[in-house]
Amino acid sequence: MTSANAESAQAAELAAEREDPTYGEIVWGQFTKRRIAMASTWGLVGLLLLAIYTPVIASNKPFIWHTVADGWSSPWLTSLFDRNFYENSVDIFFNTMLVVGTAVSIPVAWVFRNTKKMVRRDRQPRRKRAIQVALTVFLLSFGAIEAFPAQAPKKVYPKIEQQLEAAGESHTSLYAPLPYSFRDGNLNETRQPSSIAHPLGTDNAGRDVLTRLIYGTRISLTVGVFAVALYVTFGTIVGAIAGFYGGRIDMAIQRVIEVVICIPSLFLILTVASFIEERSIFHIMVIIAAVAWTSPARLVRAEFLRMRNLDFVSAARAVGYRERRIIFQEILPNALAPVLVAATFGVARAILVESTMSFLGLGDITVPSWGQILNTGRTTGIWTLILAPGFAIFLTVSLLNLVGEGVRDALDPKLRK
Amino acid sequence: MLQYTLKRLLLTIPTFFFISLLLFLVLNIAPGRPGAAAGGGDGERGNQEQKESYRIFKEQFNLDKPILLNTRFALEQSEVRELLVTGFNLEGDPSAAQRIEAQDNLEDYGNYLVRHLVPLLDDADPGVRQVTADTLTVATQMRFVNERRGDVKAAREKNRGISKQNTAVKQWRWDDDATEAQQAEVIASWKSWYADNEGAYTYTGKEKTWAFFLDTRFAKYWSNLMHLDFGVSTADRRPVFETVLSKLKYSLSLTFTSVILAYAISVPIGVFSAIRQGTKIDAAVTVVLFIMYSLPTFFTGTVLLRLLTEGEPVSWFPTGDFQTMTSDPMTTWALLKDILWHLVLPIATYTSVSLATLSRYARAGVIEVIRADYIRTARAKGLSEPVVIIKHAVRNGMIPILTLLGGLLPALVAGSVVIEVVFNIPGMGQYIFQSINLRDYNAVMAVLLTSSFLALIGILISDLSYAFVDPRISFD
Repeated sequence: MTSANAESAQAAELAAEREDPTYGEIVWGQFTKRRIAMASTWGLVGLLLLAIYTPVIASNKPFIWHTVADGWSSPWLTSLFDRNFYENSVDIFFNTMLVVGTAVSIPVAWVFRNTKKMVRRDRQPRRKRAIQVALTVFLLSFGAIEAFPAQAPKKVYPKIEQQLEAAGESHTSLYAPLPYSFRDGNLNETRQPSSIAHPLGTDNAGRDVLTRLIYGTRISLTVGVFAVALYVTFGTIVGAIAGFYGGRIDMAIQRVIEVVICIPSLFLILTVASFIEERSIFHIMVIIAAVAWTSPARLVRAEFLRMRNLDFVSAARAVGYRERRIIFQEILPNALAPVLVAATFGVARAILVESTMSFLGLGDITVPSWGQILNTGRTTGIWTLILAPGFAIFLTVSLLNLVGEGVRDALDPKLRK
Repeated sequence: MLQYTLKRLLLTIPTFFFISLLLFLVLNIAPGRPGAAAGGGDGERGNQEQKESYRIFKEQFNLDKPILLNTRFALEQSEVRELLVTGFNLEGDPSAAQRIEAQDNLEDYGNYLVRHLVPLLDDADPGVRQVTADTLTVATQMRFVNERRGDVKAAREKNRGISKQNTAVKQWRWDDDATEAQQAEVIASWKSWYADNEGAYTYTGKEKTWAFFLDTRFAKYWSNLMHLDFGVSTADRRPVFETVLSKLKYSLSLTFTSVILAYAISVPIGVFSAIRQGTKIDAAVTVVLFIMYSLPTFFTGTVLLRLLTEGEPVSWFPTGDFQTMTSDPMTTWALLKDILWHLVLPIATYTSVSLATLSRYARAGVIEVIRADYIRTARAKGLSEPVVIIKHAVRNGMIPILTLLGGLLPALVAGSVVIEVVFNIPGMGQYIFQSINLRDYNAVMAVLLTSSFLALIGILISDLSYAFVDPRISFD
C-alpha cells in the first residue's frame, strides 16, 4: 500500500517535471529573479498585513476586561464590528479580513500545501475551488456584517479604569501596545513630543500620531487598489471594444478619450470633489477612476488593433465562437500585460492623488488619511506630523514603483535572465 | 504631412467643443446653489427684496435657463396651473420642498408662462386668479440687452423702453383686500396688453427649434465665449478672463524657470549616467533620482518651508508670496531680486519632480541610442569620444525628452495647485483652488477651459514634433 502510494507520488513528480511552464509561470519566474522587486513585494505584503492587523497594534478597547460588576469580557473583539466605534466601512472591511480572512486563509493554505506535488491538471482546479470558496465565505460575511451593523454603547475604557482606580475597585485589563483611538484625542495631552507612551508624539487635538498613521495605511491602500481596479476594468472594456470593432465605434471612443485627456486631471478631480457635500473615500475612488480610465483604454485598444487580425483570432472566428467570447476569452488575456504594468504604477499614482486631495482639504475629512495628517503638520509646524506621514507616503509609493518596474522588466522578453 | 497637420488642426475644433460641453455639464449638474456664497440668498426664502435680487442674479448668469436643451415652449396650461397651486399652497398640502421647487420653476420659466397665464386670469378660483396676476408681473419682465457690444446708442434706447415697460407691468396686481372692480380692471389691462403683444409669446415652429437649442445656458455661454467673454466672477463681479490672464504671469514665471532649470540639469545628468551605465556612480544617481521621483510635491514643499523659513531652525527664505508686499517703489533690479528670493523654494520643489522624470527619460534615451550601429560606425571611423557622444548619441537620444516638452505645456500654464497653495503664490492653481471653495463656477470654468485648450494645443505640438524631429515617422 505504502509503496504504491510512493510510486504514484513519484510518477506525479516526474509528470510535474515534464510540464512546460505556462506564460504566467515564466513571468513569475522572471519576477522572482529580480531581488529589488521581490523585496519590495514583501514590503507591500508587510504593509497589507499592517493594515489588516491594525487593531491588534492600536486600539483603546482592552483585549481582556474584568471588573467585579461586569465580569469577564473582551471589548476589543466586540468593537471590531461595532458601527459606533468603527464608523467607516473601510475599517469594517479590514476588520472582517482580520477575523474571517485569517480564518479562511488557514484551510486555503492547507489545500495549497497538499496539492503542491500534483500535476497541473489536478492541482489547478483544486486550488481554484479553495480560493473561490474562501472568497465567497469572506464576501458573504462582510455583506452580512454591513447589512446588520452591531451598535454597542460608547464606552471609553481607559477613563473607566481611572475612575475605578480612584474608587479603589479591583479590575483586570489588557490593552494593545498603543491604547489609543485614531479619532478621539486626549485634550490634556496636545502637541506632546515623542515619548515611550507616544512614539511619534500627539497632534494638536491630543491624538496619538502613530495610531493615526497606522490606520491611514488602510485608507491609502484601499483608495489605491480599488480606484485602480475600477478604472482598469472600465478602461479595459472600453479599449477592447474600440480596438476589436474599429471603424466608427473606435473613432467615437477615440474622440471621447481625447476630450478627457485634454482636461487637466487634478483640476477636474478637485472641482468634482468639492461638489460632494459629505465626501467619503468611495467618492474619491470613483472620481479618480472617472479621470484615469483613459490610459488602460488606450493600451488595450492598441493591443487589440495589433491582434485582431492574427491567426488565432481568425481561427476562433472560423470555429464560430461568439464575439463576446473572442474579445474576453481569446484576445483579452493576451492583451493584459501592459495593463498590468500600468495598474501597478497606477496604484502609486492613485495613492498620491488621494493624499494630495486630503492635503488640500478636499478628501474625506473623517478618516485619518496621510495627506490630512501632513496638512495638520503644515499648519501647526509640528515636525513629526510632517515627517511621519510624508515618509509613509514615500515608502508606499516607492515600493509600488519598484514592484511596477519589476513587473515591467519581467514581462519584457528582451530582458529575460 | 501638411494634410495631417490640417486634419489635426480641424479636429481641435470639435474636440474643444466637446471639452466645453463635458465641463459645462459637470459644473452645472453639480449640487449646491451657485451664488449662494456670494450673498445671492440661500435656500431660505427671505423677504421679497432678497428674492428679487436672487432672481436678477440668476438671470444675469443665465441660471434660470435649462442647461442643454429647452422644451419649455411645450408647457401645458394644466401644468402651469398645477405649479401655481403647489407653489402658492392653494390646494392640497405640499411639503416645503415641493413648494420651493414649484416656485423656482415658475420663476425660471419666465416668458414661457405668459401664454398660459393670461387665460388663467379667468380661472374659477379667486386665489388662482390673484397668484396668476402676481406671477405675470414677474414672468413678463424683459431682459436688458448688453450695452457693451454693438451699437451702444440703440441698445441704450432699447433698454430705456424695456425699463419703462417693466415698471408699468409691475403695477398690474392686487392685494388681498382689493375689490372686485379693482381686480376686473387689472385683468382687463393684462388682456389688452396681451392682445398687443401676443406675437412675442406664441411660438412658430422655427422659434421652437431656435429655443430648443439656443435659449439654453450652454448656448448663451458659447455665444459669450465667441467674444472671449467668460462671464464675471460671482465672488468679486470682475470679468473672469481678465483675472485668469493676470494670474498667468505668476504661474508662468514659476513654471518656466523650473522647467528650463530641470532641462538644463537633467540632460547632463542623464547623459553622464548613461555613458557610465552599470558603474557605482550610475547606480547612486539612479537611486537619488528614484527617491526624488517618489517624493510627493506637497511633502517636499512643506519640509523646505518648515526647514528654511520662520527662523526655526533657520530663516533664509520668506514664508511664501510672490514678492514683498510694500508700497515703496523698487528699482527693476531690486524687484527682480526680491521675486527671485521668494521663488527659490517653490522653484526647487517644482524642479525636483520634473528633474527626476526628465533625467530618467534622458538616460533611457541615450542608452537606447548608444547601442545603435551608427554609433559604432562613428567610433570605427576614428571620431573622438566626446564628438561621438555629443554629436551623435545625445542629439538622437534627446528626441523623447524634447517631445515631452509639448506634453509639459499644459502643466506649465496650469501651474501647480499644491505648490501655489503651499507657498501662497497667486497663480492659476491657487486661483482655481480658491474659486472651487467659493463655488465661483464662472471662474472654475474659465480656468478649466483655458488650461484644457492649452493642453489640446500642447498635445498637437507634441504629436507634430515627433514627425518633425524623427523623419522615420510618417502620418500619411
